[in-house]
Amino acid sequence: MNVACEDRERIFLDGTAEEWAALELHAAACAACAEELRTWKELSTTAAELRAEEDSPALWTRIEAALREQRSAAAERNFWWRLEFRPHLFHAWQMALVGAMVVVLGVSGGYVYTHRGSVPAEEGSTLLKTRALAEVERTEHEYMTAIDQLAAEAGPQLNQPTALMANYREKLLVLDSAIAELRTQAGVNPSNAHLRYQLLAMYQEKQETLQDILEMKR
Amino acid sequence: MGSVGLTLPWEHRITGAVRTGERRVETSEGRTGTGVVSLERSQDADVAAACLKGDLRGYEELHRWQGRRMKNLARNLLGSQTDAEDAVQETFLKIQRSIASFRGQSSFVTWTFRILVNTCHDLRRARLRRKDQTSEDVASLIPADMPRAAVAHPSLRMALERALAQLTVHQREVFLLYEVQGFRHAEIAGMLEISETASKNTLFQAKKNLRALLEPPRSAGAGGAQ
Repeated sequence: MNVACEDRERIFLDGTAEEWAALELHAAACAACAEELRTWKELSTTAAELRAEEDSPALWTRIEAALREQRSAAAERNFWWRLEFRPHLFHAWQMALVGAMVVVLGVSGGYVYTHRGSVPAEEGSTLLKTRALAEVERTEHEYMTAIDQLAAEAGPQLNQPTALMANYREKLLVLDSAIAELRTQAGVNPSNAHLRYQLLAMYQEKQETLQDILEMKR
Repeated sequence: MGSVGLTLPWEHRITGAVRTGERRVETSEGRTGTGVVSLERSQDADVAAACLKGDLRGYEELHRWQGRRMKNLARNLLGSQTDAEDAVQETFLKIQRSIASFRGQSSFVTWTFRILVNTCHDLRRARLRRKDQTSEDVASLIPADMPRAAVAHPSLRMALERALAQLTVHQREVFLLYEVQGFRHAEIAGMLEISETASKNTLFQAKKNLRALLEPPRSAGAGGAQ
């Protein structure tokens, strides 16, 4: 392969290994290209010297403490976690209500999801219209209420001191933390459909987890 | 039980830092299929799975594996070791808060570094708001407490640091991620949410600007970051 001086910049940008080799050969007989090539490569050589990596033995200790603190704070925020189960408050009609809410949200979420492509491109594909947003927020609220009721029902099972339940508790903590984060982001940018989809996915995951716990009880 | 989705359909390979002076030409063959890449991929999946379960040992492993690299990038972006450590800590906290939303579209390391870069943006903005510095001037971005490595031309490195501070933030990030941290364009594209071509173009522009800034006086007026 032969290359000329005018190929040099293109090879610098996105040359193949073969083109680089050809440029090196060309530079052996071309002083201008040799100088440019030397300078170009020297930038990479010098940049590598910025890769000074020294130990910070205390840093992980600090990070670990912060992670533990954040996890504890998240646990405290999750009010359902602190709820004491009161079986006399849970009636069959509440279970039916939970089911109904799940169906409503499923249908609404499905509608929003399947019609997301119908928004004109110039309006921005991720922006929800105001009316749709109000609908999503209403069903989201109902869904949250329903999930809280599921969580209350799963409480006694979840509090059992077994390794399996400890895993479920951890998972729910993480999910609640993610939901809180996404809700904060959605509060800042309520029209972002992508955030809503992520939030819906988190709620569904939490619902499935709680259902798994309840199924073990039966 | 439903799963949070930990399938890892990587398109982006995880790369270690390149050796000094190595010229990197990214081809489609790349290093796919090598033992090193497989090992890193497996480690990436293990760490992601542990973090997803809320296991702090997963975070510790991530720190052991990538902590130095993270701190080094943060220090080069923020110019201060203290700020760099704050950025790394904040990144770990953000990972813990949002780990459930990690779906494996990129590698866990790529996802981690995306959070780190955004955290550095936030810290830089916060620092500007606090008026700890009046502007993002050259001097403030030169790492003052960078430990001295055994280098042949320390003056050249200092000149590079000064020149880097004159690039745009975007050019500086791409240059540091590629040339210093050794990431591939595909990985950088994932971190900065740009295309691979944009990453290549930005690197090219950054190096052209650096070359102009580092040239002897004959081209001193050739201009800075574009």
